[in-house]
Order: sequence, then C-alpha cells, then structure tokens
Amino acid sequence: MVDAARHPNIDVRTYTQVERVEGFVGNFKVQLREKARYVDADRCNGCGDCAKVCPIEVPNPFELNLAPRKAAYISMSQSVPLLYTIDQEACIHCYKCVEACGPLDAIDFSQEDRVVWEDIGAIITATGFNHFDPSVIPEFGYGRFPNVITAMEMERLNNSAGPTVGNLIRPSDHQNPKRVAIINCVGSRDKRFNPWCSNFCCMYAIKNAVLLKQMYPDIELSVYYIDIRTPSKGYEEFYERARQMGIKFIQGRPGLITEDEETHNLYVHSEDIALGRAVEHEYDMVMLNQAAVPQPDVDDVSSVLNVQQSPGGWFMEYHPKLRPVDSPTDGIFFAGACQGPKDIPASVASGSATAARAGRILHSDEWEIEPIIAEVWEDRCVSADGKKCGICARACPYGAIEVEVGKAATVTTAKCHGCGGCVAECPHNAITQLHYTDAQILAQIRALLADKPEEKVFAFRCHWCSYGGADLAGTSHFEYSANERGIRVMCSARMDTDFIYEAYRLGAGAVLYSGCHPQDCHYITGQIVGATRAKRLTKIFDKMGMSPGRFRVEWISAAEGEKYSRVINEMQQVIDNLGKDKLMDEIETLRPQMEKRARRMYEVPDVTNASDYADRMSAVMTVEAGNDGN
Amino acid sequence: MMETKDKLLSFVEQVKAIPGGEHVSTCYSCGTCVSKCMIQQKVEPDYNPRRLLRMVMMGMREQAFESPTTWMCSECDLCYSSCPQDIHISGVIGAVKQLAVEAGYETPLEVVSVDESLCSGCGICVMTCPYEAPHLFEKEVDGEIDRFSAVDAEKCMGCGMCVAACPIGAISRPGVSNQEIVSQIEIKKKSDKKTLIVFVCDWSLRVDDDVELLESYPDYVRVIHIPCSGRIDPQMALIALNSGIDGVLVCGCKHGECHFKRGNYVSECKINLLDSMMEQMQLAGKRVRFVQIGTQDRGRIRHEVDDMLASLEKEAV
Repeated sequence: MVDAARHPNIDVRTYTQVERVEGFVGNFKVQLREKARYVDADRCNGCGDCAKVCPIEVPNPFELNLAPRKAAYISMSQSVPLLYTIDQEACIHCYKCVEACGPLDAIDFSQEDRVVWEDIGAIITATGFNHFDPSVIPEFGYGRFPNVITAMEMERLNNSAGPTVGNLIRPSDHQNPKRVAIINCVGSRDKRFNPWCSNFCCMYAIKNAVLLKQMYPDIELSVYYIDIRTPSKGYEEFYERARQMGIKFIQGRPGLITEDEETHNLYVHSEDIALGRAVEHEYDMVMLNQAAVPQPDVDDVSSVLNVQQSPGGWFMEYHPKLRPVDSPTDGIFFAGACQGPKDIPASVASGSATAARAGRILHSDEWEIEPIIAEVWEDRCVSADGKKCGICARACPYGAIEVEVGKAATVTTAKCHGCGGCVAECPHNAITQLHYTDAQILAQIRALLADKPEEKVFAFRCHWCSYGGADLAGTSHFEYSANERGIRVMCSARMDTDFIYEAYRLGAGAVLYSGCHPQDCHYITGQIVGATRAKRLTKIFDKMGMSPGRFRVEWISAAEGEKYSRVINEMQQVIDNLGKDKLMDEIETLRPQMEKRARRMYEVPDVTNASDYADRMSAVMTVEAGNDGN
Repeated sequence: MMETKDKLLSFVEQVKAIPGGEHVSTCYSCGTCVSKCMIQQKVEPDYNPRRLLRMVMMGMREQAFESPTTWMCSECDLCYSSCPQDIHISGVIGAVKQLAVEAGYETPLEVVSVDESLCSGCGICVMTCPYEAPHLFEKEVDGEIDRFSAVDAEKCMGCGMCVAACPIGAISRPGVSNQEIVSQIEIKKKSDKKTLIVFVCDWSLRVDDDVELLESYPDYVRVIHIPCSGRIDPQMALIALNSGIDGVLVCGCKHGECHFKRGNYVSECKINLLDSMMEQMQLAGKRVRFVQIGTQDRGRIRHEVDDMLASLEKEAV
C-alpha cells in the first residue's frame, strides 16, 4: 500500500466517494466527492499531536468498538496516506488540535467537500465484503452473553497491535480463557440468513485455533463445524496439523448456547455426529465465525456503476468461469470479495487479473466489439413525438439505451452487446439489429417453410445455449425428426412475437421457442425478456384454441443435446398424433388471426428486397473511442 | 407402495409427496435439530431426527418406521426455528408417521384412554387437544343414541391436557392420572417456614443441573413432576391450598417453546384466572403463580422458587 501511494502513476484518493459514473469503456466520466477531512492533506505529516490533545473519545469501529478513538483520528495505525481526519459529529470545537498542530497549521475547519469530475478509462471495483451480525441469531446469545464474541473481535483481542496488546481476555472478567469453542457457519449455509458458503471461514477457524494453541499451549480448543472445507493447496495439511496439535473438531452445528449467570461460562449444546448423540460442553469463551456478506451500501454502488448483482447482493461477473473478473459492462472489473467470498490468495489473483484486464483497455486506441449492435430508426421512435415509452431501455440488460421524452431513443454503441431484446420488444418497430434484421430472419423463416410447412417442426434457438444443444445432438448422433427446421438468433430475447406468428401463418406444424436456462444467459437478463414473452405467447395461443404442444418453450443448455433431440421428437409426435387433416384445419382457422397480429412482416415483402434493407444498416465494425455515444 | 402411472415411488418420494415432507432432501446433516430437541436427552437415547431424515433419504423404510423418532416427536418445532436449511422437521417426521400408520405400525407411547361409562360426550377434550386426537362418535346404548369421545392412539402424544380439561374425570393416562398427582400433594410441616408446591413441567428444564437442584429442596418445598404444565387442573391448586399449603408455583415452558404446542398457554390462562378469582374473593396475597422458563434460562428455576417463597413470607408479615 505504501508502495502504491509512492508510485508516480498511482493517485490514491481516500475519504472520497464515487457519486456518478457516465460514459462507456475507455471514456468514463466519474464524479468524485472528496469529503472534507478538516485537515490539509499537503501540510499534515501524520505526527498525531492533534489526536493526543483531543479530549473526545468515541468508539473505534476498526477495533470493533472494543477500544476508543479520538475525534481527531486515523482509521488504523498503518493508514495510507497517513492523514488525520476530524470527526465532525464528535468534535466539540475546542480547537486544542489547532494549537497542538502549531506552525504546521494543517487543521482547517473551513474545509468543505470538493466535487470533481475525472476522465477514467477503466474502473476496478474492490469494495470487499462485510461481516454478518450474529446478534440476530437468538440461540447463540451474541450481545446477551458477554463471552460470546465474533471472529473479528477475536482478531482484535488476539492482535499485538489491538486493544489488549495481544492478551486474549474474556470480556466478562478479563481473565484468560482456558476453554474456547469456535463455531463455524454462523449465518452462512443458513437459508434463514445467507444460503452461501463463505469460503474462507473453515481455514480461518483452523488458523485462529492454531494461533491460540501456539500462544497458550494449555488452552482447550473445540471447533464446531458442519463440514470442514479445505480445497486449496496445503489447506488439508494445515487441518491435519491442527488435529495433531490437539484441537478438537466436533461435527455438529450447535443449536443452543446457555450461560451460567454467575461464572458467565458458556454451555454449547450440539450433536456430536460422530458419537450420534447430543452433547453439552462447558467453555469460558465462544467465538462465532460469522458469514461474509456484501457491503451494506452494495446497492448504491451497483446503481452508480450500473452493474448487476447476483442473488444475495454480490456483484455479478460476466461469466463465472470464463470471465470471472469482468463485469457485464465493458471497462468495469471486480477485484476480490466484492464479487463473492474469497480468501487471500484468490483475492490477490483476482486483483492481478483485473489490473491486467484494465491495462488492455488503457493501452489500446480502438476497442473491438461485436458488429451485431442495435440501431434506432429515429423517425419511428414515438419518444421523439413526445410520448412516454422506454420499453427498449427496460429490455436492455446493459443500460445501453437512453430514452428522453422529446428525443428518439439513443443506443450507446460501445455498451450494446447485441442480444436484440430491444429490437423484439419495440412495439413500433423502430429498432433494428445489424446482421439480425427482421428482413433477414423473416427471409430465413420463409425459405425454410416454403415447402410442406405443416410437416415441419420449426425451432428458434439462441446462439449460446440451445443452438449449441442442437449442435451437440448432431455431433453426438442423437437421432431426431428430419422434419426439424431451425434458425439461430443471438438470444431468446430476439425471438420476436412476429416471427412466431409468421411461422404459424406460413403453416408451420409446431414451433419451438428455446434458449438458455435463466441463470446461464449470456446477456445477463436477456433470457428473462424472452421468457416473459414466451409465457405471454403461450397464453395467447391457448386462447386461440391451438392444440397443446404445437407451441413449446424449452430452456436447453449447450450440454443438453439429448434434451434437444427428445424435445424435437416429442413435438414431431404431437404433429403425428393430431393427424394431417385436423392439423391443416387448425392452421387454416388460425391463419387470419396470425395475420392480424403480426405487424412487422408486411414491411418485409419478400427475400429479394431483404438485401436492400440490410444494406441500409452497413456495419460499423469498430467504434473509435470518444466518437460515439455521449 | 404407492403407484403412479408408470413407476413405483421410492420411500423418499413417498415422504416428499405428503405435505410437510417436501424439503427432506435439503438436509445436510448438521445436527442442529438433535441439539435443540430434548427427547433424546430426557427420554429416549435412540431418538434422533437427523438420523430419521437420513433413513428417509437412504430409503430405509422399515428402520424409519420402527425408529422411536417417528413416534415420539410432539411437533414442538423448537428445531424448525433453528434449522439452517428451513426444513420443517416435524412435518417430515409426521409424513413418515403417516406412512407407518398406513403400513400398520402402532405407536409405542403410553396414550390416554376414555372411560365410556363416565363420558358425557361434551366435546371439551376435542377442543383442548393440540393434536386432534380425540373425536366424538355416536353409539346406541340401551336403545338410545349417545355421544362418546374416543382417542386416536397414533395421534395422541400423552400431554394430558384433555385429562386436566375433562369436567368429570373420564379421561386418564397411566402414570399421571388425577389420583396419582393429587396423592403427591402433601407436605408434612416440620418448621414454621412457608410451604410451597412446585408443579414442574418436565420439558421446561433443559439442563440437568436445574433438575438436580429441585431434588435438593428441604421438606417445605414439594416438587411434583408433570408431563406438561397444561396437565394442571386448577382444582389441584385448590386442593393444595385447602390442605394448608401456602403457595402453588407452576413452571411451564416459554411462549412458543411448549413441548406440546400450547399446553403452557392453557395452563397460564387457567392459573392466572384462578389467581384473579382468589383476588376477587379477597384471599390474601398471591398464592398461585405461573412462570415461564425458556430454553436459554439456565438456573432460572432457583430464582423463581426463592422469589415465590420470599413473597409468601412477606405476605405473612
């Protein structure tokens, strides 16, 4: 950290809040609020004389409120940069600090927050995690029983720079505990609070136990656990070393802690699963190994950065395996535990990875994106006529579309990833997607259903999952009906209702609407847009009186070739069971309704005109930095 | 075995098909339920809900049906509130029990029985029971249709609330019949200390220290163990006071922690009502009292008894 602060190309801004982020990859504009410290950063040398004379003491959150700090303070002794701050909420304005500072004259009570805008190429988010508050679990008695402490409190009590100078004492009587229990999974792997495994607590419990055993060889230590998870290099060996040191590991999550009201000793009630019976052991002190949870202001940060959150509130990465440190928005990266609970090696690795990823952006003059972006026809957009719409902006998973009443919607090209959700959702047909224009797709549908359409099972597949599933079915030689005809679009979000109507209007026997499983969508929430539409379509077709099974919605991953072939075969069976006469009857009866509902197909009369239509949308293959968007 | 269209349901699928049993597969065997449950500690060492859920998941049908866990769970749901997987464990056990009953297994518990020669068919027991075990039926006796109560053995958990509620004493349970409890209400006074009867619900005292403490009281404090505070009939308190005893203390579980769902509420209402009746009758002082003891109230019983004795002494002055 000290090295970082000294580096000529690194500008460390502490006590500064990011308030707004605008722009796009390589061209972010960021609004920063540099909060008033009431200490001049250029003059303060960190001597601490102001804190020495300050008469006000308030709880010190860095010490988990086990020790006080002054109103003139640094958050911890290793703070970088070493600058004191005056806590205005606590300060009584006695100005003793001004006197103590003397000729340095660093203290300035007239300071105010400063708002600055900065041009930023890439953003790395490293906001970390927070600790779960175990006082909401009544059975452990944290907050009621003085000798039940959290892991972080143990960390401070055990730290040679901590409030007790490393002397581990019981809060109730300040004696050294002889018997200590460590309880794992407090608030994690617990559906009442946080369902996830917090990743590092097993090793953390073992580390603490080993540390205590080394400092106090006579201490009795028990670790209560559900499962001990030691998956990385050297971890299992460390666990074994702990067992050999005589630390007891008890499999069984305690259901209750009771306290002797006189001695304040604690009784941990648990099952010892290895023994198969309930046990009650007495301890002097109990440490609760709390869950890692997202920072309390994670929602604010994600809305400022316009990035999504996974269930639970962690920032969501672009892809859990292939792009684990990228956010879905280009140019924003996640380092460390803000993306999910991580131990130190994993945090360091992800930090280095984000630096490399950000370096790629800073070192390139041009930034390549897929050419399949969306474009708005300004003359059609109703927003330009002063009407409130904004459906496209709501469908966009990337926040790439800006809608302002009175102006046509604008797509920030650099942010668009080409799912096509906005194109299909626009009720006025005012958006098109390059290389996946309505004309191109309708032309494909018409060509594939030109001959004996009633025999065909027509499949819409998304590029990333169900198309891969169909491909796998082929390469694995899973047999499926030869009457299957399918086209590929980028995402189920692009599967316009009009395409489905057109397929039925042309007389398709059955139509499959397929895409990724909800959690696997390549375009974050594209599948949700597609799934909502599919649900609506299913209802419409039901009302129309279409035979069940002729319209089918299936989420098929690229690994589910077997499922793809099975679904197609089942749909073929539906057509066969209906019989040709009945099917033809149904197609004819429903055709006028399909024609009435489809709006787009009249704009694209036939295949020959389709190429003109596509030419209008000549692709912008690379977007020059700074020339687009805002 | 239950059958669906084309395949036999496995044991775990059968359990999951019964409302309450759905979430059995999410159990990761942490043992929280066992540490919360007092049946293993107090009554049956082989009682283990975690192991029963395991048996269900491993398809051990007969072992599950024979397990005491299947029959002894009284649905107090202490475990439910602390289960980290949100499994309604008593619901799963209930589902296993239902299958066991369907398969012809019978409960090994001591259950209540109704003396038909006394029963008037009033239905108070039906209203009182937390387990819907008693029901009324009609039978012809001497040419007349008469109503009687009968108890489903597999539903009865033996709390005795119906025994306490029955106005004519037609219901009894072996071990805790009215006579057996009343016969214990007797204190031979040797000193001039105030005398006190303590009715203690067996489930309200979690730790052995507290149970042992009760044994150590001198002769002027008489401790009577009952299966649930709901078993207390206000008449018992009156009998005690009538026989010259100075005070009656009833210890039940904390609200929401009753081993038999709601015995503590019923008992608290009855005792408080008796207390206010005695106040209206202008009898001196608080002679009867109900106290709640929670699972985390280690050592609380001592204070409650001392407090009651002290207040009786104070009243006397």
